[in-house]
Amino acid sequence: MTKTYRNIYIPERTEIKEKLYLTGDVCLFRVESERPFEYNPGQFFMVSLWGAGEVPISVASLSNKRREIEFCIRRAGKVTSAIHELQEGNFLWIRGPYGKAFPLEYAIGRDVLIVGGGIGLAPLRPVLQWGLQNKNSIKKISLLYGARTPEDIIFKEDLQEWAEKGINVVLTVDRPGDGWDGNIGLVTTLWHKAEIDFKDAVSFICGPEVMIKAAIKDLFFFGMPEERIITTLEAHMKCGVGKCGHCYNGEKYICTDGPVFTYKEIKEFNLL
Amino acid sequence: MTKEWILPKGHLSYWLRQLRNTASLIAPLRVDGDIVFKSLENIHEVSLDNPALLPSPKEFLFPQQESLFWVEDGTKVRQLYNNEKRFVFGVRSCDISALRLLDRFYLEGYEDPYYSLRRKNTVFISIVCNNPDPTCFCIGLGTGPYLEKGFDIQLTDLGDRYFVQAGNTKAIRIIRQWKFLFNKPKRVDYEDQYEVFLSSKARFQKRISLENVREYILAGKVKDSFWGSVTERCFECGGCVYECPLCTCFTVTDRVYSFGIDRVRLWDTCLFKGFTRMAGGILPNEKKILRTKRWYYHKLIHYPDVLGGFGCVGCGRCTVTCPGKIDMATIAIKLRDLQDND
Ligand SMILES: Cc1cc2nc3c(=O)[nH]c(=O)nc-3n(C[C@H](O)[C@H](O)[C@H](O)COP(=O)(O)OP(=O)(O)OC[C@H]3O[C@@H](n4cnc5c(N)ncnc54)[C@H](O)[C@@H]3O)c2cc1C
Ligand code: SF4
Ligand code: SF4
Ligand code: FES
Repeated sequence: MTKTYRNIYIPERTEIKEKLYLTGDVCLFRVESERPFEYNPGQFFMVSLWGAGEVPISVASLSNKRREIEFCIRRAGKVTSAIHELQEGNFLWIRGPYGKAFPLEYAIGRDVLIVGGGIGLAPLRPVLQWGLQNKNSIKKISLLYGARTPEDIIFKEDLQEWAEKGINVVLTVDRPGDGWDGNIGLVTTLWHKAEIDFKDAVSFICGPEVMIKAAIKDLFFFGMPEERIITTLEAHMKCGVGKCGHCYNGEKYICTDGPVFTYKEIKEFNLL
Repeated sequence: MTKEWILPKGHLSYWLRQLRNTASLIAPLRVDGDIVFKSLENIHEVSLDNPALLPSPKEFLFPQQESLFWVEDGTKVRQLYNNEKRFVFGVRSCDISALRLLDRFYLEGYEDPYYSLRRKNTVFISIVCNNPDPTCFCIGLGTGPYLEKGFDIQLTDLGDRYFVQAGNTKAIRIIRQWKFLFNKPKRVDYEDQYEVFLSSKARFQKRISLENVREYILAGKVKDSFWGSVTERCFECGGCVYECPLCTCFTVTDRVYSFGIDRVRLWDTCLFKGFTRMAGGILPNEKKILRTKRWYYHKLIHYPDVLGGFGCVGCGRCTVTCPGKIDMATIAIKLRDLQDND
């Protein structure tokens, strides 16, 4: 006998409306779902492709009324490579949103510092979009973004738009190519360009683990309170709902207790 | 709510036969010298004279391998639920205690629909342990050898009869269906049951307080070098995890057939090196948190904090299974000795 149950493991169908390569191995997928989903910056979906498997992917856009969601996906292995093979009109299956979102309310009345590395800009993009929508209740927004080479910079058009709309956008690359006359080196060498009051700011950080660690340490040193240094952590995930155990790291489930954590929590629970 | 009866031993097989007529009956069987839980065809096959340590019945709620759903033509998703009604007979108290935590784990937060349905369809008939094994340490944890509450149906062997307790309305209804088999308990029955409880409690060889171990760990007294040496002894066989009634990790994989895709979940083991592997071959586990430390933290710190009880019920299965001698009881005793020398 078959019974209808709300089943947390069954994904729902979305259609790929737009597929856009941002770099050689990072692709933006704009999908349309059959029912509206409400999601917040920092949350993620479990994204499925039949036969390949399921992977956690952060939302790269703000929730809107058009049933659209954007995912920015780097080709990293089996499932993500298979997703990259899909074309506009194909289906992607998703379940979610899962996880804790960025506590955006911390930004109200303060300076906001956004620190991204590589594809780590993807989950921060909706934070920036939200910031622009709520400009009047925020003091100043600075974005420090680092990529390996100029070719690896994602969301180039957005970066330009954000700069035009008053966000202090500071870019840097590890290895400049010809024609790059910007900053060279790690994002953590650019604090002086942030032009914010560290003690009264909130920071949202996402990128490779080494970058997160270095950034947190510096910001704390500059006097930013540990509960306002906020980052998102990555872990191997199979379920996204606190059942499979893969993301458990000694004290917390990254999928349900996170993936967004404050430095305070990271220290207390030994998460990094 | 608990109700009590007496079942003369001669009536047991008749009762079991009746139960089997209404649902499938799973019970311990002897197969080539081993004891396994299996669906019973012939009532006389049931093995009653078992060592305390039996296989864990978690398999019947969270199978080693199960289909989550089928996908046909890339678009039709069909969920297959197992709606079979079952009795599981002969389970130990420690395993019933484990179920109470598993229920919280699977049903709170995001409810696991597969576990949930199986749980609703399964009635457990547990037996009080008259003779704990040398590896059993439920006594220090309050998870056995008998239970005061939380069971469906609990039997105590009083020699020529069973003391029967039904712990919820569903169980009471089941007993009442064949009430002509059961008698009202007399004072002597209560006294005999109490006698069995006392003599069983006196037989334990291991007395372990996980509470002390937890306190010791939380006080920051257990160094990573300790977990390092424990990890070195782990063979990655996964034996403890498969046997443990409170280990729940799984992985998910798609099986591709010409007629569709089967998304399957399988038991997994947090003690395997690849368990936390991320794209690019990064193994956060090895450098940050040692595999065995994570297993122990999950059971001794996380479980009590979040689910209200240790992730160990003292069944002693890992003590029997672990070739590296880094099982719960051994580690707890080691840490107690360290604590005594502090
Ligand atoms: C909360 C969260 C948000 C993420 N957001 C994004 C995003 O927006 N864009 C993006 O490109 N990537 C994101 N990732 C990383 C992405 O999930 C992995 O790159 C992806 O799982 C790799 O799977 P694969 O099959 O292609 O690689 P393989 O190496 O073949 O991985 C096999 C399996 O291992 C697991 N796995 C491997 N690497 C990771 C990993 N880094 N994180 C989690 N599970 C992993 C998955 O279960 C995967 O199916 C996110 C990860 C997490 C935890
Ligand atoms: S940790 Fe060992 S003793 Fe404790 S419940 Fe699991 S298998 Fe039994
Ligand atoms: S641990 Fe306790 S309840 Fe479990 S088998 Fe041993 S004596 Fe029985
Ligand atoms: S991803 Fe399964 S428990 Fe977190």
